[in-house]
Amino acid sequence: MSRVDLNCRPVLAAYVRLKTDPVSGDPILVFPEGVMILNATAHAILVLCDGHATGHDILTALSTQFEVDEPTLRSDVVECVADLVQRNLIILKS
Amino acid sequence: MKYRPYALLAELTYICPLHCPYCSNPVHYPHGEELATDEWKRVFAEAAQLGVLHLGLSGGEPLARRDLVELVAAAREAEIYTNLITSAIGLDRKRLVDLQNAGLDSIQISFQADEASLADTLAGARVHQRKLEAARLVRETGLPLSLNVVLHRRNIDQLEKIIALAENLDAIRLELANVQYYGWGYLNKNELLPTREQVQTAAATASAAKARLAGRMELVYVLPDYYEARPKPCMQGWGRRYLTVNPVGNVLPCPNATSIENLTFENVRKQSLAFIWHESDSFNRFRGTDWMPLPCRECPQREIDFGGCRCQAALLTGDASATDPVCEFSPHRDVVDRLLSSVAHESGHSNGLIARGNP
Repeated sequence: MSRVDLNCRPVLAAYVRLKTDPVSGDPILVFPEGVMILNATAHAILVLCDGHATGHDILTALSTQFEVDEPTLRSDVVECVADLVQRNLIILKS
Repeated sequence: MKYRPYALLAELTYICPLHCPYCSNPVHYPHGEELATDEWKRVFAEAAQLGVLHLGLSGGEPLARRDLVELVAAAREAEIYTNLITSAIGLDRKRLVDLQNAGLDSIQISFQADEASLADTLAGARVHQRKLEAARLVRETGLPLSLNVVLHRRNIDQLEKIIALAENLDAIRLELANVQYYGWGYLNKNELLPTREQVQTAAATASAAKARLAGRMELVYVLPDYYEARPKPCMQGWGRRYLTVNPVGNVLPCPNATSIENLTFENVRKQSLAFIWHESDSFNRFRGTDWMPLPCRECPQREIDFGGCRCQAALLTGDASATDPVCEFSPHRDVVDRLLSSVAHESGHSNGLIARGNP
C-alpha cells in the first residue's frame, strides 16, 4: 500500500462516476462492476483527484478540512488511492 | 430504508449463439414471451426509482435483442450506469458506435480460453477469432473493456496465457471466475471441476499477476467454492443489494434462484418492481438472519457471509434454508467432500460435455 508516490497526480478513470446517491445523499462511485459507497474522508480525497493536484497537494488541502494528525491523514490518502489504483478506478499521472 | 437495490441484472434474452457447458442460464427455461422494449424501459425507470444505480445487460446474448441500443438509451435516461455483458458475437463497428452514442458505459466480453481450438470447442461454435476482433474494436472506440474467463479443469492450466491475452487486448479488468456448480455447470461437474492441485497453482499464478499488473489491469480470481472452508457471501445477502429480471419478466433475488423448488417469483407484467422488492415472499424468504438455521444463527460470520448460497444449499442438501454445505460447520459438508474426492478419482477420464441448448 505504500507504493503510491505522493508526487503523482491521481485522477479518476474516465469510466468512473463520482455521484451523490439520490436515495441516501451519500457520495458514491459507480463503475463497470458496481457501486461503492464512500465515507466522508474518501469523498474528500476523490474530489481532489483531478489529475492536476499531486498527492502532496491533496494532503495539504485535506489538512485544513480535517483535524487529524499528519501521519493518519497521509495513511488515509495513500490507502484510499492505492486501493482504487489496484482496482483500476484511479489512474496515477506523473 | 433497510433494503434497497443498488444493481439490476437484466437478462434480456435466453437466445445465444454459444453453447458453453457451464452457462448460468437455467437448464429448464421458463415459459413466456420475452419482455418487449417498452416493458424493459418501464422496468429500468422503476428500478431507478427504487435506487438502482447500475445495470448489467446480459442474457443469453444481449446483442441478439434488436432493440439493445434503445434499451441502453432508456437506462441512460434513467441515470443508470450500463455495463454490457456479452460474448461479442454480433458486435460490429456500427453497433458499437450506436451503443456508445446511446450512452453505454462499459463492455465485458467473455472468452472461453486463450486460443481458438479449445475456446471454440467449449463454446460449440467458431467464435474466438471474432471475439478478438470485437475486443479490439471496443478499445478503438475508447470504451472500457473487461474480460471474463470462466475457469475449469480444461482451461485452468492455461491461466498465464489467458492473462497475457487480457493484457494484449488492453483490458482494464480480468475476471477469472471458476465455474459455479449449478444448472449446466452442475450437470457437467465431473468434466469441469478442477483438481485441488490445479486450483492451488492457478491461485498462485493469479496472485503474482495481480501484483505485477496493479495500476494497469485489475485481476480478480474467484475460487471454486467447493475448495473453500467458508461460504461465499452470495449476492451480499438475499434481497439486500441486487435483483435480476429474467427474459420473461420474472424478478429474482439471484440469477440462479429459479433452481429453488417451492419458491415462486413475481412478474413485472403483473406487479411493480417496488412491490416485488419490498413485499414479495420470494424476496423476503431469506432476508436478514431470522430464517437462519444453526449453526448460522449463532455464527459471528452471519452478517458477513449471510449463510452462503441458497441455491447451493437447495441443490446439495435438498433444503434451501440449510447452511451452505461448503461451510466447514455445515452438517452437510461431507456432500461437498464426496464430490471433490470423486473428481480426484475421475480426472483424466472424459465422457464429453453436455452443451447448453437454446429455448
